[in-house]
Amino acid sequence: MEENKGAEQKVKVKVEDLGPVRITGNFILKDLQRDTESCPGEVLLCACGKTLTRPFCDGSHEKQS
Amino acid sequence: MDKDKNFTGGRKYTNGEITVYWKPDACIHATYCFRELIEVFDPGRRPWVDMNGAPTDRIIKVVNMCPTEALTWKWDDDAKNHDISPDQTNHIIFRRLELLENEASPKTERLVTVKIMPDGPIIIKGTFELNYRGTKKEITDSLVSLCRCGASNIQPFCDGQHRKTGFKG
Repeated sequence: MEENKGAEQKVKVKVEDLGPVRITGNFILKDLQRDTESCPGEVLLCACGKTLTRPFCDGSHEKQS
Repeated sequence: MDKDKNFTGGRKYTNGEITVYWKPDACIHATYCFRELIEVFDPGRRPWVDMNGAPTDRIIKVVNMCPTEALTWKWDDDAKNHDISPDQTNHIIFRRLELLENEASPKTERLVTVKIMPDGPIIIKGTFELNYRGTKKEITDSLVSLCRCGASNIQPFCDGQHRKTGFKG
């Protein structure tokens, strides 16, 4: 994970090439479709639209037809 | 004070009671407006805003939900614009331009929020680092809208394609 950067942990959003959106740090995740709220610390969100576990990535982007 | 002079690059719509300002460049396709009030905000219609489609209080409520400055509003009776409560988030006196000018320090302490929009994009708001295709950007007290349907033509950002492709989830 991240090395210490003082009291705050900076939020980083990384869009993987042809893959999901990885978000790390201290953030609130609000899913307005499923009406959930959490502070996961790290999350992999689907960006290809193919996942079966929305909003999270399940690796479906790797199954190219 | 006339805040209209700060409004460029958009359109205005009025029903005689309020004026709604529309700034297409600021739209991130969060879809709140037409999900909540298709009678007024219909992207498939021209003009897409029909101020006679709903009562004024409902229009104000939905304009206040817009997460960007794409939609803002004011009372046409200027006397009513002087005493606006902070929950009227998208009244023109709260436009970000004003906020930036009036606040001495950036709001870097604020917690970052990541919103999954129904059938729409990921909206990330706050101060964070954005990394994509070898590009690293520092986002400071602002927001980005990332594609979740895979069909956007401006990856990784949302361009509204999810509506055309019928993305669900």
